[in-house]
Amino acid sequence: MSGLRRALLALAVLAFLCGAATVPIILGSNHEDSRGLLVALTLSTGWGFAFTGLYAWARRPDSKIGPLMTAIGFTFFCQGFAAANNPVLFAIGTVGSTLPYGILIHLLVSFPSGRLEGQRAKLTVGLGYLVTGPLQLIWAVLTDPGTKSDCTNCPENPVLVSGYEGVAEAIVVFQVVAGIAAILLGLWILVSNWRQSPASERRALTPVVVTGGIAFAILVVQLILVQFGLPTAVKDVIYAAVVTIFACLPFAFLIGLLRSRLGHAEEVSTALSAENAELTAELEAKVAELRASRHRIVEAGYAERRRVERDLHDGAQQRLMALTMNLRLARDKVDAEPAMAAELLDEALVELGEATAELRELARGIHPVVLSDRGLQAAIGGLAERSPVPVEVLETPAERLPAPVESATYFVVAEALTNVARYAEASGATVRVARRNGAVEVEIRDDGIGGADPATGTGLRGLEDRVAALDGELSVESPAGAGTRVEARIPCG
Amino acid sequence: MEDNRPVSKSVLIVDDHPSFRASARRMLEASGYAVVGEAADGEAAIAAVGALAPDLVLLDVQLPDLSGFEVASRLAALGDGRPAVVLTSSRDRAEYGGEVEDSPVRGFIPKAELSGSRLAELTG
Repeated sequence: MSGLRRALLALAVLAFLCGAATVPIILGSNHEDSRGLLVALTLSTGWGFAFTGLYAWARRPDSKIGPLMTAIGFTFFCQGFAAANNPVLFAIGTVGSTLPYGILIHLLVSFPSGRLEGQRAKLTVGLGYLVTGPLQLIWAVLTDPGTKSDCTNCPENPVLVSGYEGVAEAIVVFQVVAGIAAILLGLWILVSNWRQSPASERRALTPVVVTGGIAFAILVVQLILVQFGLPTAVKDVIYAAVVTIFACLPFAFLIGLLRSRLGHAEEVSTALSAENAELTAELEAKVAELRASRHRIVEAGYAERRRVERDLHDGAQQRLMALTMNLRLARDKVDAEPAMAAELLDEALVELGEATAELRELARGIHPVVLSDRGLQAAIGGLAERSPVPVEVLETPAERLPAPVESATYFVVAEALTNVARYAEASGATVRVARRNGAVEVEIRDDGIGGADPATGTGLRGLEDRVAALDGELSVESPAGAGTRVEARIPCG
Repeated sequence: MEDNRPVSKSVLIVDDHPSFRASARRMLEASGYAVVGEAADGEAAIAAVGALAPDLVLLDVQLPDLSGFEVASRLAALGDGRPAVVLTSSRDRAEYGGEVEDSPVRGFIPKAELSGSRLAELTG
């Protein structure tokens, strides 16, 4: 058991003993008229607040609500002590009997957070404590109970400072007026808080607003009517109402507090649901992107095969057809027109050379042999050499990288340089490939016209997919008139 | 292949590859044909037939705008005076299914086998 739990348990035992102690005191009182009602009021309210307060304290140790409720419970036993025939107990009871109402105002105004929000709340609570604490003490010191019509059998005041009855009377008037003002202010704040609260918090405030509102209203009525010296029967009815409503109050606070926990749980649950929905949407977007990217990769594969077929058909195959016809014609002419046959053979050799070059270029487009044989440095050097736009290779990694990374890097550079030559109208370009922090960073810059849009070109989009397949990223910056910068970052362990 | 008229030797070569057109021209001229024109696509071919009235059209199947089959159909619709058409392609005849047989043409010669004698076999 924790230290706090032990202390709270000790306080619970103490509260029980204090409450129990008030019973014989009240019942043996020779100056209290409504002894039964006072026992009921003291025990139901004192024990009610003390035990529910200690429970709330244990459940929410970080909140002031539990300690405030417990304090109300303990100070409420002073109502019982005020019935004592013993002068000291009577004096203690009289001084402390109003204090629970001050604490109650504090509790109502700060419920359910336990904090006093704003000047208005602080002033209200301050006024409540002033009336029920220091002023009550001063009044008790200055008042001789023997002079009071309703307290003729009361014990002597052991700390009486006599001769200030007028001051004491003034204090009482001020207490009544200021007390009513504090209560009304407290009610106002409570209702305002309720109206401004979200639905989840209203659930916590409603039982307290209803019960507290009724309790305060009855208290105000009692405060006012007591000044007129009412008959005992009327006083008893009001007293019974006070007993009933005050007995309900601690439970209203406890229900409110538990509901606020529930409300908090609902808020957490709502927040979690929202977060969950957000994550699900994010995941769905990722899946959709992945599906689209996979679709594009497959499409790109087909498109690439179509391109290879078309390149072969339009290029090398046509040259080989022409070559065949020239050779056949040369064969037919070799006897009759040897000069023409020789000319045809020369043309055939040129066709053959061009067909071979086209096949080599095509093969390089499918997979550059120099890349697998000699690595990125040599392959990118070759790209730079063949580029019609002057290209300066600033940096390339000397060491070999994983084949898929080398391949993706090569094609990023190749596609970017092709675009530079086709569209950029650049006078020069630079290529930088560096291995940093577990990734290959590729950058191709040119000084051309800019304005490239990766969304419109299949080449860059295809590269984006190729790079993304390796968990990499590709970005293109191409402001109009300020050149183009293609950057890729490909993780490579 | 319903067109069996005898043909003379004026030829229009229709192909989008200049190297093939040049080789075919040389081949056909060496075989005694008179190559009266060349066209690089289907529309140009139809226009050239109207302008040059060749006896024979050597027509590539794969053209940039129209297919050779479409061009052959439109030429067949010209009625009297329409040229005999022979299709050619770098692909095999089998790759076109029954399209060659269904076309109003004299026949099909793979480009690799093109010669004056093959053309003469088909066109009489």
